[in-house]
Amino acid sequence: MAETYLITPNPHWHSPVSTKRLMLDVVIALCPAVIASILFYGWSELAILVVSVASCVLIEWAVTKFLLKKPSTIGDLSAVVTGILLGMNLPAGIPLWIVFIGALVAIGVAKMTFGGLGQNVFNPAITGRVFLLVSFPAQMTTWPEPHGFIPNVDAFSGATLLGQVRLIGADKADALVNLSTLFRNIGGSAGEVSALLLLVGWLYLCIRKVIKPWITLSIFATVAAIAAIFHGVNPEMYTGPLFNLLTGGIVLGACFMATDYVTSPINSWGGVLYGFGIGFIVMMIRYFGSYPEGMSFAILFMNMTVPLINMAFHQKVYGRK
Amino acid sequence: MTSTLIWTIVILSCLGLLLALLLYLVAQKFKVEEDPRIDEIEAVLPGANCGGCGRAGCRDFASSAVAAPNLDNHFCPVGGNAVMEKVAAILGYEVVKKAPQVAVLRCNGTCAARPKVNTYDGVKSCRAEASLYGGETLCTFGCLGQGDCVAACSFGALSMDPETGLPVIDEEKCTACGSCVKACPKGLIELRNQGPRGMRMVVVCRNQDKGPAAKKACANACIGCGLCFKTCQHEAITLENNLAYIDSGKCKLCRECEAVCPTGAIHGINFPKPLDKDAVKERIAARKKASAEEGAK
Amino acid sequence: MGGVHPHDSKFAKDCATEVLPLPKTMYVSMAQHLGAPAKPVVAVGDSVRTGQLIAEPGGFISAAVHSPCSGKVKAVAPYADLSGRMVTHVVIDVEGDEWADGIDTSDTLITALPEDRQFILDRIKACGVVGLGGATFPTHVKLNPAPGSPKAEALLVNGSECEPFLTSDYRLMLERPKEILVGAAIMQKVLGGPKCFICIEDNKPEAIKVMDKALQELGFADMVVQPLKKKYPQGGEKQLVDAVMHRQVGSGALPISVGAVVQNITTSFAVYEAVQKNKPLVSNILTVTGDCLPADRHHNYWFRIGMPLSYVAEYAGGVPAEAGKIISGGPMMGKAVVNLDAATVKGSSAVLYLKRETTKRWQEGACIRCGRCADACPMGLEPLLLNRLYKAGDRLEELEKYAAQDCIECGCCLYSCPAGIPLLDNVRQAKQQVMGVIKARAAAAKNK
Repeated sequence: MAETYLITPNPHWHSPVSTKRLMLDVVIALCPAVIASILFYGWSELAILVVSVASCVLIEWAVTKFLLKKPSTIGDLSAVVTGILLGMNLPAGIPLWIVFIGALVAIGVAKMTFGGLGQNVFNPAITGRVFLLVSFPAQMTTWPEPHGFIPNVDAFSGATLLGQVRLIGADKADALVNLSTLFRNIGGSAGEVSALLLLVGWLYLCIRKVIKPWITLSIFATVAAIAAIFHGVNPEMYTGPLFNLLTGGIVLGACFMATDYVTSPINSWGGVLYGFGIGFIVMMIRYFGSYPEGMSFAILFMNMTVPLINMAFHQKVYGRK
Repeated sequence: MTSTLIWTIVILSCLGLLLALLLYLVAQKFKVEEDPRIDEIEAVLPGANCGGCGRAGCRDFASSAVAAPNLDNHFCPVGGNAVMEKVAAILGYEVVKKAPQVAVLRCNGTCAARPKVNTYDGVKSCRAEASLYGGETLCTFGCLGQGDCVAACSFGALSMDPETGLPVIDEEKCTACGSCVKACPKGLIELRNQGPRGMRMVVVCRNQDKGPAAKKACANACIGCGLCFKTCQHEAITLENNLAYIDSGKCKLCRECEAVCPTGAIHGINFPKPLDKDAVKERIAARKKASAEEGAK
Repeated sequence: MGGVHPHDSKFAKDCATEVLPLPKTMYVSMAQHLGAPAKPVVAVGDSVRTGQLIAEPGGFISAAVHSPCSGKVKAVAPYADLSGRMVTHVVIDVEGDEWADGIDTSDTLITALPEDRQFILDRIKACGVVGLGGATFPTHVKLNPAPGSPKAEALLVNGSECEPFLTSDYRLMLERPKEILVGAAIMQKVLGGPKCFICIEDNKPEAIKVMDKALQELGFADMVVQPLKKKYPQGGEKQLVDAVMHRQVGSGALPISVGAVVQNITTSFAVYEAVQKNKPLVSNILTVTGDCLPADRHHNYWFRIGMPLSYVAEYAGGVPAEAGKIISGGPMMGKAVVNLDAATVKGSSAVLYLKRETTKRWQEGACIRCGRCADACPMGLEPLLLNRLYKAGDRLEELEKYAAQDCIECGCCLYSCPAGIPLLDNVRQAKQQVMGVIKARAAAAKNK
């Protein structure tokens, strides 16, 4: 029998933008920074990214197939995004089995135990990274010298710049960072290699209207403002705004991790508050905490407040005062 | 070292005691005096919170039963007479007995009997589909097959049969709570008396179209021909809007209506033996002959 | 606020209107307007002429219906409408197209406006004019606001036609601009002379130009052509009031509460015909289009109200084999046709064929809380929240708090959802439940 005509309530049309398309855009936006990190760190970084993405996808497939016994969800590419972000959040040269454990925690624990895409409270990639950070502190803070395909004269090895603040003093550390740091390798996790390329990707996402810029801008503004205040009061103790914006995971976190749909507020004003919270916490950890860097913790902490923020912030209904 | 240990234990113990005291005081302050019988009744209720009694849940039923002057308006369909006897005993009221009931589907518009004329592609919900239009077939009275009743059942007594596209009621599990009755936008599920050993007669159709239209829409439809109405000796069958209905209170389970129905819209359920149509028809013919002779005399 | 930008797909925009010949039989529905169905005043066997009254309004909010042809009444009986619901129709065997007396069927433009306000309203009512933008609300009721309503400050004549594919309003603006403007001037007069805005989306520069020129030639005071940004649903009543007047209509209120009256371009034309020519509403423009039609098969037709959709489809070359869904109206707010034999009604604006793959609903995925539905909602609602509350069951208070009742069912949420969640399907159910509560409460308050 011939297929009969379809009947549905309106609308009868659909925008071409699917979840898969959105995730693909994120992957595209990450490409420049990914390529840069591979160029700077070489084959080992490529291996980390491949293992990370492959294990994320594999774990999600396995969980849906064998544990949940539901149709596979890997087609939406969200596991690929998590895989890339996880890989970029690890130091280059980390043993590959640790990468796999990170993927297991990211997808298996942080994402699938909550019910998969859309249900998780915490950003999977960051959860994976933090788990590795507390489980393998040595490996997670061993920053290898870049020995990639392009020579990098001003690379720091050993501790990151942030890690050196307490050793060399805030004013000296500040002096090492200027606007040109935007374009160069600053040392640290693989993905932090080029702030500029991360910003390019972020701009792409904003222009394609995949994400709204408010969360990211709010984080940047908060970090800059807090750094300006403390630095203004005591430049010898506290590093300045530029230093804090361009070092560590601020750019990567603010552009790609804090803007994750599922774990960030829906409302733009809620997003501003969320961004402020992240900026505030990260600066408190940097200035007063025992870790040199706190972006992951800041995002994870603010992830918890998202349901509350979503309850508090609603857009204005037409015709209501 | 030891002093630290001791201090820790002492301080923690004190803290614990203090908080316990606080909790106790708060609990005392906010304590609500409740009729203890509410708890007793709740304990004997099934605890499914299905809402079949018309209240928000078992506790609500219990408190409203305690407040009521008698049990006329309170009946737990899930627990049935056994539970209601216990409730009546607690309250010292007279028990109001009800015949045990079961949910019965009144549509037999299987995929085979009812050709599809369009394909519904909206959200999987009977209620949404019904608010849009009559459904995928020409029968605008029949089951839509999206399974709102299955979702509404808290006892797992309903399931969709992929073969027929209709829900199947598991009589063992059905508690006659009525959730499915409320969920069906077409009003196809009815609570009926279980009948002796579960036996009952049902018109498995709600199509109110005239005969030819009903027939065209569904091979199994009641076409309102009235044969059953004319045959029934017990005045159990009524015919309204081209649709027959069997009153379970009057039906004597003689199965004559089932035998004469031309479309098989009348089902005898849970009878031990399959219906011998010819034998029943002969019986009817013989009776007619006899009464005709009587009339002639 | 909100809105989406679907591809406008106005394939039929350069197709000049053609007049459809009459079929053998016409089926005139008695329920083709908002409100009470009309009461037939003809019986089987009666002879009728084109434009003759065949049904009178069945209540205060109702409209008269006229014969679209001359011939004999064959039946007055229930027939299925396009969603398969049974509605009383007057069926007429067509004999010809002889108009009833007193109707001016010429094309001469009459610009002199009648003086008497009541005369105008009576003519509009007698000719069965209803809002042709979609809601089919009786026009004489809308133009005569209840005593005590605020004074009308602006008359918005809506030519935005923001739905993709539809071109009937556009063609009318290009072909009959002066009639539309005279109609608008008549409505302006009835309303006591508010400023009149002819609202046209800026993706129709031709129409803006033509209307502007016509306006200059007619020299009407207090009337301007107001270009609007292209956006769906720019033509929604509440959205239009906001876009032009920067005022928002409250929940459950009518635009008149903020001093606005919104009328469609086509309604304006119908008002012109009714008042100046005494010509009842028996025809309208209908677009036959779709994404599975070749370029030469898009059409704009003047159809007589009561022609079966199947007749129109047949005349236009038949239903294309690739069509997966037939829609009466646009792809965003149109109705899926269950019964193609249903009759066209006053509000019919298009027969749209969409390919199965473009119109098939997506497999429902997980909500990723991206908030695109909330961004798209022109009413500022959060469909993802309403959807969740509805599915949780029994959350009517919260649904009301988050304004499920304000949904205008424009479809932007479902259109924009990347996970293909049937948001509107669920929100619509939620809205119906909340409306039930609100109505019950209002009724209870009245009884007190």
